[in-house]
Order: sequence, then structure tokens, then C-alpha cells
Amino acid sequence: MAQAMGFMTDTTLCIGCKACEVACKEWNQLPATGGGANTLSGDSYDNTVRLDGENWRHVRFVEQFDVFDPHRNGGRWLLMSDVCKHCVQAGCLEVCPTGAIIRTEFDTVVIQSDVCNGCRYCIAACPFDVIGINQANNTAMKCTLCYDRLQGGLTPACAQACPTASIQFGPLHDLQARGRKRVEQLHASGESRAYLYGVEGDGYTDQIGGLNAFFLLVDPPETYRLPSRPTLPSRSTVPDWLAGWGSALVAGVVGLLAFRQRRMASVDAGREIPRPEIPSRPETPARPAATPARPPTPAAPPPAAPAPARREYTPTGDQDEA
Amino acid sequence: MLLERLNDPHWTWLVYLEMFTAGVAGGAYVAATLLELSGRGRSPAARTAHLIAFPLMAVAGLLLIFDLNRPGRFWHMIVQAERYLPMLKPWSPMSLGSWLLLLFSGVAFVSFVDALIARRLFHLGGWRYDRTLHGGPLGIAWSVFGAVLAFGVGIYSAVLMTTSTFPGWSHLSIVPAVYVATALITGVAAVVLVQAIRGQLDADTLGLDRANLWLIGWWLVLVVVFLLTLMGRRDASIYLDDRSLTAILAGTVLAGILPLILHAIRPVGLTSRLAVSSVLVLIGGFLLRYGIVMGPQLH
Repeated sequence: MAQAMGFMTDTTLCIGCKACEVACKEWNQLPATGGGANTLSGDSYDNTVRLDGENWRHVRFVEQFDVFDPHRNGGRWLLMSDVCKHCVQAGCLEVCPTGAIIRTEFDTVVIQSDVCNGCRYCIAACPFDVIGINQANNTAMKCTLCYDRLQGGLTPACAQACPTASIQFGPLHDLQARGRKRVEQLHASGESRAYLYGVEGDGYTDQIGGLNAFFLLVDPPETYRLPSRPTLPSRSTVPDWLAGWGSALVAGVVGLLAFRQRRMASVDAGREIPRPEIPSRPETPARPAATPARPPTPAAPPPAAPAPARREYTPTGDQDEA
Repeated sequence: MLLERLNDPHWTWLVYLEMFTAGVAGGAYVAATLLELSGRGRSPAARTAHLIAFPLMAVAGLLLIFDLNRPGRFWHMIVQAERYLPMLKPWSPMSLGSWLLLLFSGVAFVSFVDALIARRLFHLGGWRYDRTLHGGPLGIAWSVFGAVLAFGVGIYSAVLMTTSTFPGWSHLSIVPAVYVATALITGVAAVVLVQAIRGQLDADTLGLDRANLWLIGWWLVLVVVFLLTLMGRRDASIYLDDRSLTAILAGTVLAGILPLILHAIRPVGLTSRLAVSSVLVLIGGFLLRYGIVMGPQLH
């Protein structure tokens, strides 16, 4: 297997030019609008709004201004080029029922659109809200980390296009070392809030083993719409199944006991048990006897006990429909 | 903390209708198993339950297939697309659920045919109306196997939601418990309703109806725990959307409270009471599923 490759997105270097978005769409031949009209979100300069089946890179604009200050003094722009995180333990890959989502030789996570049947479970399982349905081919899609370019020894289109090196591509170990060095540099220059989100031991993404596309951030993850504790679906699979089976067991036992008790009470009250649904056997011609008939016994049989009077079955266990 | 979602899985009416029909089918099959375990495997009520279960499962399967974005590839759930080997990931609720649906449909189909043969609609070789599968020792084993699968079908669709990272579903372990109980009460109600419509209110049907009152009691306990759990969560507001909360509360009243009241005060005759009570349970069970599936997605 080739070594693990990934992205480091340094948000302190992003200028919000969206060259990454354009390069991604161009290389992957993704539609600009998903077949619909261009719409303005009203949210800063961000009209892409989200990552989904048609937007595999998304430059997020976070405006932090005091709305009561007419001069907007002390305001901040936080810019981040968001992308699929290619989780080390990926929830989407874990739950995909068709095997359409695979881990490549570069340790990245790719959806094979010729296998995906559009069940959309991966959309619900992704903790980063990355995956969406591509309207062109009706399957779930997301960033492939330019798998085709990687196979040809090329850099992913977004990293190639980024003019400020906010998006850096390379072997994961090298990127992590570079990221730690950059954090130290920022701390030394007075930006003490800088940290890496998505590396092992970061205190955020440990439950999914870290990210192959990690970020250098300066605000809490939630500010960038990143979860502070992303989890895997399998974390709750066993307790959830057990809860269901526990309920089923209780319901089964309660149902069986209650049915037997109520039914027997109904029978004990003198109601006839309805006969099973086996229609009477149709009359068939008598077979010829294979052996001679036994001669009648001389002793007379004892008189049969009188048959109990047949009581008509009434379904009115409660005397309200007599 | 979970993200407020912008991409939802669009599990809408086809999905909650599938959950409902598959739940009723599974519940009906379990009802037949209760009869079988009580020595009533050949009773009309058991046959009715078998006649209900398979057609509903067939409908549920079709609903699931049509819900896929690429319905023609539904078989990728069961067979690997490239190597044509079985496709099973037991740790994936949807993969396991697909197999449960397939196996349960097969088991329910055999019981369905058995019920048709019992009603002398046809026969297959030695499989005749007087020698049916159900009602004998093999029938008990078959029924128990089918009931386990039926419970699995009732549970998996909820685990599908609760193992997601979707706010409002994630880590809500009480939902599978509620779902399987909902499947059971709606399945029993469907059997009682059909028996009431057919005018066959025998001791077995009455027994099932009374048993269902106990099951409804268990279901109500679970629904209350579900609501209390929601109140203790930060993402509870997701369910406070008008439609989903109304559906959950209305479902609780219709399927849980009204049938109990109806049986306590007996305002109408037995047949009407059983029929109305069963219809209420079915509607209530449907509304509850609608509320739980749609609540987080409507948010």
C-alpha cells in the first residue's frame, strides 16, 4: 500500500478566493448549480453554503462583527476551505451496505458511484455533514481527494490551485509535522489560540482515530461548523440492538402469558374452543380391505357415556354483544 | 456536540411507510407464533396472521426499493456488485437489516403458502390442507425462527436511525425498544381487525386482543421513557417542530390511551370495539413512526 496521503488546511492562510472550489468543480466535472438556478444565501460571501454531492470543496465565511458597532471595529473574518475529512475510521465506510465506499491505497475514502444505490445511509452516518446526493447520477458523492490524479502522481486540483498554500497536500506524517511546526510558529508570533484539529491526540477526533484531511484552527471547532466530538455509528450499535431485543423479549413473554391467561379464562368460562381451520376430509370411496374383517366380539360394549351437550360458542366474553 | 445538519438523508414517506408495513407484518407473524406456542397453530387467527404477514412484507420491500435513488441496484445490498459474492456487513444496521428483510420474507412466504393450503386454495404434492407445516412440532420451530427474524426486522429500522450521527436520532437507544413494541401492537391489532371484519371473534382472537392490552401497556411505558429521555437531551427541541411533536403525542393517545379506555368503558359492542380499537392502534403506531422519522429531518 502506498503511504497515507492527506490535506492540511491552514485556516490562517485562507483568503476566501474560492479557487479551490472552482478547481474542484472543473477537474471533477461537477455542475455549478446542481441543475437549478443560482441562489444567493444572504450569508456573507458564501453562496455554496454546504458540502454535498455537487460541492466537494466549500469555503466557509465566518463573520465575527459587533452588529451594534457602526464602524465594525475589531471585527474578524474566519475563512476555511472545508472538505471531506477522509477519516481514519470513517463512519460512512462503516455503514455502507453495498460496499460502494472503499478505502484506497492512499488511505483515503472514496465512493464508487457505479456501485452506490443511493440508500443515503452514509449521509446520516457522516459526523461532518459532508456527503450528499449528486443530482446528475443519483448516487451519493463527495471529495475523492482526486483519486484519479493521485494514481497519476499528481496533486489534487484544489491544493494545486490554492494561491496561499492554505491547502497543503502530501504524505500524512509530513503534513502533521509541518502542521505542528506551523502551530509553534503562530504561538511564537502571538496567536496562542492556534491548534490542529484532526491529528491523533487532539482531544477532539480521537474517537474516529483522527483525520486524513485535518485543519489548523484558531477558534473552537463549532465556530467552523466542525463537531467537537465526532463519533462512529458502531459506537452505539450494540446498546441499540440490545435495547431492541430487551424490549422484544419483554413484549414476547408478556404477550404469551397474557394470551394464554386470557384465552384459558375465556375457555374456563364455558366457551367452546373453536375448531382448528382444517376442513372436514372429503368423502373418499372406501378402500378394499387388505385383510379379512375381524369377526365381531361376542361381548357387548359398555354403554357409552352420554355426550355433553354441545354449547354454542359465543364470542361475548363480556356479555355485551349477546 | 453534534452538528446541526444541512444534508439530511431524505428518509421520508416511503421510509416511514415501509417501517410501518414491515412492523405490522413482523408483529402479525409474532402474534401467529404466540398462538403456535399455545397449541393453536392451526387456528383461524394464526392463519389470518400468516396471510397478513407476507403480503405486507412484499409491499415493504417494494417501498424500500423505490426509495433508493437507484432502485435498479437494490440487489447490491445482498450481492457484491463486482464479485457476485454475498454482501453482508453485520456491523452495518442497513446491511444486516437487508438480510433480515430477505430471510423474514422467505419464512413469511412459506407460512403464507401454508395458510393458503390450509384453506384449501391449492396443494403442493404432499403439502395438503390436512398436513400443514403449522400446528406441528416443525411449525413451532419454524414460527420461533420466523418470530426472531420478525423482531429483528422491527428493531433494525430504528437502529438505522439511532446509530446515525443525526441530531435527534443519534444515541437514542430507547427508539429501537419503542419501535419493536410498536411493531408488535400494530401487528396484533391488524390480526384482530381482520378477524373482526371476517366475523371470527373466537377465543383465540379475544385472547390476542386482551394480550394486546398488556402489550400496549408495555409500549406506553416505553413511549413515556422516550419522551422523558428527549426532555433530558440538548437536541430535544428538534422534536418540538409542530408536525412531529403533534404526531408523536397523537400517536400515543390513539394507540396507547384510547384503546385502554375503550376496553374499560365498553361504549359499543364487542365487534365494533375490537375493530375500532385495532384501527386506533394502527393509526397511532403509524403517527408515532412518522413523528420519530420526520422530526429531526423537518427541523
